[in-house]
Amino acid sequence: MTGSTLKEMTRPASATATLDTNAIGAEEVRAVVQRFWKLFATKEQGEFEKLYSPSATVFAADARRSEPASLMLVRRARELFGPTAAVAAKITTIDVQLLRSDLAVASYAFHFSVTRNLPNGKRVSSEVPYSRATQVFQRNERGTLRIIHEHMSSAEPVCTQELAGT
Amino acid sequence: MNAQISAEDVRAEVQRFWNILSGKSSENLESLYSATALVFTGRAKRSESGPLAAVRRSRQMSGPDASASSELDSIEVQLAAPDVAIATYTYRFSSTRTGKTGGREQRTTLSGRSTQIFQRDDKGAWKIVHEHLSSAVPPKLETVARTKPEGITKPEWGKQ
Repeated sequence: MTGSTLKEMTRPASATATLDTNAIGAEEVRAVVQRFWKLFATKEQGEFEKLYSPSATVFAADARRSEPASLMLVRRARELFGPTAAVAAKITTIDVQLLRSDLAVASYAFHFSVTRNLPNGKRVSSEVPYSRATQVFQRNERGTLRIIHEHMSSAEPVCTQELAGT
Repeated sequence: MNAQISAEDVRAEVQRFWNILSGKSSENLESLYSATALVFTGRAKRSESGPLAAVRRSRQMSGPDASASSELDSIEVQLAAPDVAIATYTYRFSSTRTGKTGGREQRTTLSGRSTQIFQRDDKGAWKIVHEHLSSAVPPKLETVARTKPEGITKPEWGKQ
């Protein structure tokens, strides 16, 4: 995973009008995004799940509708946290929009590589060079940033390859 | 000025967006966006400025033979803060316009997915500050007859 050019979008309105020492910073958001992908790639399921608010909603990359994050996490655990699954993301630029002192939006394009285990026992691999992510973060009462909404997609149709020997 | 947005306010703003995009309203699409808005349009490989994307969409839809129609499913609204709301929904959208080769092209998105984040600006107006449009399956692209038969701009969604 790489992090290079970083842009920041701040809103010159009320969000920055008052000094809030606990206000979300763009670098803090980028660090959480990087942590998100590190935990995903290293399959640290417990810590990964803690990144989501209990009421978060998600558009998974291949889903036809949004769903509670809790449901998506069960599916990710089954398909992507097993010993033969693998996930990697190469991120270049993470845009951060600071909407309020406790609310920010991260959006970025990335190259997603995934090997997953399907419910029918097959293993499939996909390269998604033009993946796109929107993640909305909110600071909770404990001061921790949590994802309250996520939208993952691909700009181009995704080609999936069944792996031999599965 | 009501400081707290309601779910119905958000749904009305979403409908306003699609009414403009479908040619049912002559309002300016650009005016719906915050000056610093970022958007992922359906096929873009990276995000871009919301107002810029709006100008491009308006130009594409303003041709003499351009037409479009949309249909939205239920709009889920998360009220993230008194002045911020997240709308998520699925949609179908069909647009017909002259393509780069001069022929008429109809593009139909049957499994569209939308996230739109609204925030109240300093003047009390609700603006889109972030938008992510995508499709669960690739849009269908067809070449259509130049003379538009009656009713072609309104696909029968349920039969496709």
